[in-house]
Amino acid sequence: MKETLQSYDPSEDTLRLGGVNLVSRLFIGTGKFSSHGIVPQVLKASGSQVVTMALRRVDWKNPQENILTYLPENTLLLPNTSGARTADEAIRIARLAQAAGCGNWVKIEVVQDQRYLMPDNWETLLATEQLVKEGFVVLPYMSPDLGTARRLQEVGAAAIMPLGSPIGSNRGLQTKELIRILIEEISLPIIVDAGIGRPSEAAKAMEMGAAAVLVNTAIATAGDPVSMAQAFRLAVAAGRLGYLAGPGARRLEATASSPLTGFLQEA
Amino acid sequence: MQIVVNGEAQNIATKCTVFQLLQDQGVTFKAAVVEHNGNILKQEHWQSTPLQSGDRLEILVFMGGG
Repeated sequence: MKETLQSYDPSEDTLRLGGVNLVSRLFIGTGKFSSHGIVPQVLKASGSQVVTMALRRVDWKNPQENILTYLPENTLLLPNTSGARTADEAIRIARLAQAAGCGNWVKIEVVQDQRYLMPDNWETLLATEQLVKEGFVVLPYMSPDLGTARRLQEVGAAAIMPLGSPIGSNRGLQTKELIRILIEEISLPIIVDAGIGRPSEAAKAMEMGAAAVLVNTAIATAGDPVSMAQAFRLAVAAGRLGYLAGPGARRLEATASSPLTGFLQEA
Repeated sequence: MQIVVNGEAQNIATKCTVFQLLQDQGVTFKAAVVEHNGNILKQEHWQSTPLQSGDRLEILVFMGGG
């Protein structure tokens, strides 16, 4: 790190992940946008380099539609395994995504619960272990739990992606304390995924020491998704800089900011 | 002859290849992926793979997702 942070340059503060140095610590999901056509503008405004997408059966009403045609050439593709209910299904989707020419990064997402879409940590661990053996760069989406995170680290995950709150809920960092423990105890990058609903919440996660955040619904469902993407870009950079700058200690009681050597009460 | 494409029965001409089927349906080839009877079928084999009656195909593409 430089002697002073006054001229913070994100390009000198890269995130090393899967053998790549990432300048942007904001990952973007491409779901729920009103049309795929807006995605290039969103990506530009966000400055993101890593983008998630899902593998689905072709839509016969629209057989030419494919999100990849909207992504710039240099985008790092992070296909997810959404729809998988078991490790085996996640592994199958990861292999298919790789066969589609999407590189070897994969976000493991194994969900059985349909109401809160909470990830199944056990199946996630099994899928991670197998896919690491097959040479994938594996980013598991998980319920923040230190024991599971340790095991994911042991089997070779590239990062840990704990949820802030349920997918698409825009409810922010409800799991803040559990994420704080992961940041403190796990040496892998912690990338907060799911639930971040406002730029301030992304800034908060970064300020806590998260390595990056993944945002989808908050941008896709905003009144102006392009402006919101830019807001998230600024928030992530601000939060990161706040973390690097080292926040001051918290206290229960006041400590005066102005000198106490007053004159009003003096005789 | 009948095959099953993405879970639905479909009648196709005999000697049709995977390549022809995708072309006829207007699927964008870039980053489309095909599972043929449960096995991944690489794009370079689409033209040389004739479909047989009763085959099961999954034709998948990337959609927006988080």
